Parts: sequence; C-alpha cells; structure tokens
Amino acid sequence: MLSCHGEIARWKREMPTGLALAGNPNVGKSSVFNRLTGMGVVTANYPGKTVEVHLATTRFKDEEIGVMDLPGTYAIGSTSEDQWVARRALLDGGPDVVCVVVDATRLERNLFLPLQLLDLGFRLVIALNLVDEAWREGLRIDARRLARLLGVPVVPTVAIRGQGLDQLVEAALAEARAAAPRRATPRYGRDVEEAVAALAERLAAADVALPWGLPPRAVALLLLEEDDETRAWARDLPAGERILADAEAAAERIAAGHDEPAPIRIARERHGLAGEIAEKVKTRVCAPSARQDRFWRLTTAPATGFPLLAAVLVGLFATLFWMGDYLSTLLTALWEAWASPGIRAAVRLALGEGAAGRSLLWGVDAGVNAALAVGIPYVLTFYLILSVLEDTGYLNAVAFLTDPFMHRLGLHGRAAIPLVAGAGCNVPAIMGTRVLATMRERVLASTLVCLMPCSARTAVIAGAVARYVGWAPAVAIYLIVAGLGFGAGLGLNRVLPGRSTGLVMEMFPFRRPSVLGMLRQTWHRFKGFVCVATPVVLAGSLALGVIYETGLVWAFTVPLRPLVEGWLGLPAVAGLTLIFAVLRKELALQLLITLAIAQYGTGADDLLRFMDRGQIFTYALVNTLYIPCIATVAVLARELGWRRALLISAFTIALALLAGGVAHRLIALMA
Amino acid sequence: MDPASLPPAVLECLDAVSRLEREEPPASRAALAARLGLDDAAAGERLGQLETLGLLRAERGGRLRLTAAARPIALRLVRRHRLLERFLTDQLRLPWERVHEEACRLTPVLADDVAEALATLLGDPATCPHGNPIPAPDGTLRPEHATSLDRLKAGQAAIILRIEREERGLLRDLAALGLLPQTKVEVDEVAPFGGPLLVRVGSARYALGRDVAARILVRKA
Repeated sequence: MLSCHGEIARWKREMPTGLALAGNPNVGKSSVFNRLTGMGVVTANYPGKTVEVHLATTRFKDEEIGVMDLPGTYAIGSTSEDQWVARRALLDGGPDVVCVVVDATRLERNLFLPLQLLDLGFRLVIALNLVDEAWREGLRIDARRLARLLGVPVVPTVAIRGQGLDQLVEAALAEARAAAPRRATPRYGRDVEEAVAALAERLAAADVALPWGLPPRAVALLLLEEDDETRAWARDLPAGERILADAEAAAERIAAGHDEPAPIRIARERHGLAGEIAEKVKTRVCAPSARQDRFWRLTTAPATGFPLLAAVLVGLFATLFWMGDYLSTLLTALWEAWASPGIRAAVRLALGEGAAGRSLLWGVDAGVNAALAVGIPYVLTFYLILSVLEDTGYLNAVAFLTDPFMHRLGLHGRAAIPLVAGAGCNVPAIMGTRVLATMRERVLASTLVCLMPCSARTAVIAGAVARYVGWAPAVAIYLIVAGLGFGAGLGLNRVLPGRSTGLVMEMFPFRRPSVLGMLRQTWHRFKGFVCVATPVVLAGSLALGVIYETGLVWAFTVPLRPLVEGWLGLPAVAGLTLIFAVLRKELALQLLITLAIAQYGTGADDLLRFMDRGQIFTYALVNTLYIPCIATVAVLARELGWRRALLISAFTIALALLAGGVAHRLIALMA
Repeated sequence: MDPASLPPAVLECLDAVSRLEREEPPASRAALAARLGLDDAAAGERLGQLETLGLLRAERGGRLRLTAAARPIALRLVRRHRLLERFLTDQLRLPWERVHEEACRLTPVLADDVAEALATLLGDPATCPHGNPIPAPDGTLRPEHATSLDRLKAGQAAIILRIEREERGLLRDLAALGLLPQTKVEVDEVAPFGGPLLVRVGSARYALGRDVAARILVRKA
C-alpha cells in the first residue's frame, strides 16, 4: 500500500496549484470532484486507516490544478478516522485553497466546518451547493451576504448538473493567487477570544516553529480544544510544560465561566456563529413541502418501513441474481465465442499440446473466463444497486431499521448493506464495510460477510444439494449457516476487545440521483475490485493448472485422507476439490465432476454414483463455510491487514470442519 | 451550620469544591487553585479553613470531598448562584458570557434573605439560564426531571441537559453535529425492537442508537 504521505507529498510538490475539496457527507462533494476531474484518480491511504483521499488533476483555462477530495466530515477536530484523515491530508497537502461544499438546505449545520477551517487559517471558497433543492423547499439564500459575513467567496452551484462549477474554479484560483490573505477569521465570545489571544501571544513569544506552519491563533484554539496531536506537539517542546500549563489554565477559565469544558464551549460558539450567519442570509418564502416529508416517514416508520425494507432486499437479491446471471452468461458466451479460440490457438502454437501449454491455458483462458463468470458480473451489478441505494438516501433508512439486530452482533445499522451484499459476492461486501468507523466493527462485519453464502456457493448448494438431495436440505444448509453466523457474531462480540460505538448518523431527505453520477461511482468502485481480485484469480488458476496438468494433484490427496475420509466421511478426492475451490467456490462442484470423470470414467457426472446424499450435503456445507475464496482473502488482507485476514480464514476453516464433522455424524445417526 | 456565619472566602472555596466534585471529579487542590485563580499555598490555606470547620476532608491521593455537613450549605450556595445568574440575564440583560463570572463573584456575599427576595422578584424560577435546576430555599435539590433521551416517545421534544462524559470521541462527534446542552431536539421516530431514535435538530435529522440516546440527559420541553 502506498503511504499517503508519499502520495500527498508528491501531489503537493508537483501541482502548481492545489485545491482541496471538503464538506459534510452527502452534500454533493463527490459530484463536484467527478465533474472537475476525469480519469486518472489516484487513491491515497494513511497506513492503518481505511478512509481514503482521492487525488486527481483538472485543467482550467490551460492551467493544471491538483484536486484533493477529502472524506466527507462534519468537522475535522475529532479522533474518528474520517476526520483524522481529512485533517492530516489537509495539513500534509497544504492546498492553496480549500473549497468547502455546503448544503444550502442545512446551512447552519454546514457552516461549522468552514468556520473550523478558517480558524486553522486556510483560504476558503464556499460552493453553496444544492441551491436548486433549497429553492424547491422554499429557501432563498443570499450568497453575497454570506460571502460578506464569512469573508470568503461564495459560489452557488448545482454540482450534480455541473452548474456554477466554472465560476467556482475561477473563484478558487483567484483566491489561491490573492497576494494578501483575507482577514476572514471568525470571532467568538469575548472570553474565548481573550483566552485564545493570550495563548497565541505566548506561543508567538515562545519562538518555536508552529506545527504544520499554522498561525498562532489556530494552534492556540487547537490547544484549548484539547486536540491530541497539538498537545503531543507541545509536550515535545523544550518549553512544552509551560505552554500546556498556560493552555490548561486558559481552558479552565473558559470552563469556569460557562459550566462546560472549553472544547464544548468552543464548539458551541462555532455553532452559534454558524447559526447566526445562516439566519441572516436565509429567507423562507414558503413552507417546505410536506409531501417529501411524508414519503420520508414511510421509509422509517415501523409499519411501512419494514415491509418496504423486505421488498427492497428481495428486489436487491433478485436483481443481483437475475442481472448477474444475465451478465455472466453474456460475458462467458462472448469470451468463448471471440477470445477463447484465439487464445487457445496462440498458446498451442507457442507451447504445443504438452502440459506447459495446457497449464497456461488454465490461467489465461479458464482463469479469465472464471473472472468473467463469477466476480465481475455480480460485483458490477451490486455496485450499481449500491449506488442507487446510496444516492437516493435509502441506505440510511436501511441502517436505521436494522440497527437493533446488528447491535446484538456488536455492529450497527450501517453494516446491514455489506452483509446483504455478501450474498452476491463477498469481495465488494468486505470493501463495503468501510462505512463502519472502527477496526473492531470492520473485523466483525468482515467475518460475518465471509460466512454469508455468496452466489458461487449458492451455485454449489443449488447444483449439488438441491439437484441431487432435495430442496429441503438445501434450505437447511442456509439455515445452519445463518445460525452459525449469528452465533459467531455473538461470540466474537464478546471475545473481541473494546466496545462498539453507537449509531450516530445523519438522515438525508430523498434526492433524485443522477444517472451519470451513479455510473461513474459504480465504475470507480468496480475498477478497484478488478485491480485487486483479477490478478489473484489468474495466478491461482495458473497454479492450479500446473498442479492438475502435471498430475501432482493425486499426490496431494494422500495427506488429506485422515481428515477428509476419517472426519468428514468424504472421498479424498472431494477434499482436494474443496481445497482448489479456494480459487472460486463454484469450482468445487465443477472440479468434483471433472475429477470424478477422470477417476471413474464417463458417467460419473451423476454425482450420486460417486457420493451419497449425506456426503453431498456435508460437502456443500463445508464448501459454504470455509474461507470464501482467494479473492476474498486478498481483499481482507488489503482492508484489514494480513494477520487479521489469516485469522478470519483460519476461523472459517475451523468452523467448516467442525460443522462438517458434526453433520457427517448426525447424518450417520439418522440413516 | 448557618452559612451566614461563614466568611465569604470560605463560602467561595466551598462552592468551588462542590462544583469541581460535580463537574470534574476528582476535585484536587490544583484544580481548585486554578479555578479560584489562587496559588497553591493560598488554596491550601483555604482548604485548611474548611477542614477545621468540619466541612471538608482530603482523602488519600489528594481527592477533596465535602462532608455531609457541607452539602446543604453547598446547595444553598448553588441556589444563590443560579438565582443571581437568572437575575443578571433576565433583569440586568448582561451578556451571556459574563453572567457566570459575575454570579461567582457575588454568590459568597449575598445574604440568604436577599437571595429569597431575589427569588420572589424573579417569580421563583426553576432553572438557571444554563438549564440547571435551582435548589429549594431549605437547601434541597428537587429532582430535576431529567430523563434520558431514549425514554422519549415519538413526537416529544426535549432540551438536552448534558451528555454523560464517558467518551470524549462521542461527545465531540455530537458537538460537531450541534447536539450540545441547551439544544432542542424533537423525536420523530423511535424504531421498534430497541432500535435507534430519529431526532430532528434544527433543519437536520439524525439517527441515534439507543445506547447513544441513553447517554444524553434531557428535560422534556
């Protein structure tokens, strides 16, 4: 993983002009970013953090501008991951100007962030976004007056349609180039300002280099806000003790004056100022339409919300399977018709008919085919559905309704969508756990996702159990897996150290999504998946090909015998297919039939000649439970680190073996 | 013990310790000194006075605790202080940020009968301008009718009194969203099965998990 510091430092060095995009979540910041920039977005991570910063360039009147898209946050003062990353990227990247995208319909809350940025001494431009929506709600906002009150340029925009963005960039460039910085420092209550000024004076007199080149007032405010990083900076100074003591005394005075701690007082002052400014620039010409509000209520009111949720989930599944299946068939057919024959001929020409050629074909032909058949169609479909749910704002209603159930598992409502997504493919689902704030929640959610039968495992359950054993046992597998998953969640919640954070989430009104925006978002995510998963699948297929074509595969069955034959009661060769299914879960069944044919001759494609009903059931159960697939492990490692990825994998293997062994014995008892 | 017999300096010190105990426990000599703007020695001297009067004891580790005898006096001081705050805001229209300071200064020197006259003038207010309850003249604190946000039903509105200070992160995140004490919240929806609450604050709506809501103490509005 690239260190963010490196990426951001390079961005800072190479870009003649740097523009950072900041804003609350869901205010259309991504629309601004997508409209401004094209392809070639670089993603930067800070080590150990899951929230990303996107870097790209845009051209405006023959000038190259670097654009940095910060994570959406309500503030930049907290220790939560998104706020920490946003702040660090801002301080490390040192943009020439920060463009804050604000929601015109919720101006008072949105102005908190720009005030905080002004406090840190950044040059700002405000994109007053969603003015069309504000207009429809009967709100008029005096952008000029807002600019005057804040002391920074304000440009009304409708980012989703690209309106006002040229003016925005123009204003940003003018602001970035202005020789003298504007005197746009917010003024808070007298006692707070006095404490800040006194502390700033001390800092200026202390003759030390201030962190990140911030002005003294900014550092003084940060110290009063009990900011951990700034305090750590002060502690390391020679005169650190004294500065910290000064800061504490000043904070104490503010606290004594207001019966609340200084950081809260300062937050209150900032909210107060934001509210006052918003009040002055807002005019309500008519009451907001109640229609939207009523529709809103339907999604969260229990009586209508739960049926609606059920319908949406069923729709999600149905679309995922139907569209995924359609795409899968289409892509496979295209590959087999157009690409496969050519590749086969080329490989045969180069390497002949021998084992080497056939091994290579496993990778470049069968491997690509596998990616086209399993990962890509379902992931693409899922991402599209996710974009729709996200952009309409329905995702929040899902989180709201499912929160109590998720809570039992140590998660909260935001984990519901990744879990559901896991039924399509675990890989995007694990990427989707990024919506969760802490590593604990992400580990919990990712483990549960791994236990969620994805479409490939469903294919095995359907193709083996439902077909040869009956539909009731097939349903039983789902129920067993669901029970084990729930139990694992309960157990892990107890075992993992720490406590889960509660749900604090803004609920958005429904918005008409932009098709273009959703497609771009889908494409962006999809690209991420293809880059991670495809190489692993190709390499794995190649390795499998080598083992199979050289005949080594039979040698591997020997050490498996005690476990597979003794404990699970399955033919050893079936154990082998389980191991190879780590590449793609549905491979288990295909390979089983292939190997069965190779071992028992043609006709063995009727599985019942080869394994009895109980064995098929056990086989599908184990296949469903143990590590999803190599692509999932790769994603787990990328998202959570190798150690956690291996632990989760080991856990699922243990669970699968346990469940399989128990199932084998119970079936034997019942027979 | 009649607080009228105690010198103002002692009362001021008692008041400060009681507030430290309430707001930032444990109360320590250093915190007291900072709050009163005294040096360590002077603070020690004042504490010594309180201890001789049997109003305070210093525990091991320097933690200060008021004795049972001191509690009614402390509550009467709280009453004076909060009445003064009301007077300074409502009658004298002093700026919000000055009332607390001024009230601190006036509290130790205000006689009990003057405080009662003030209460009558103000129409026996129940709370100070910050929303905290005013104790009764006999020095007892009526239950402040505080309840946690998660006990509210859909359609009810409340004023946030305080947020239990357990996790700094949560407190800050709530503060960034504008969920601060004295803020009015309206409960739009309460999800069943112990689900979250949907609250409206200004023009924004938030979903708060039941556990988060349980940590927000409110007064029904």
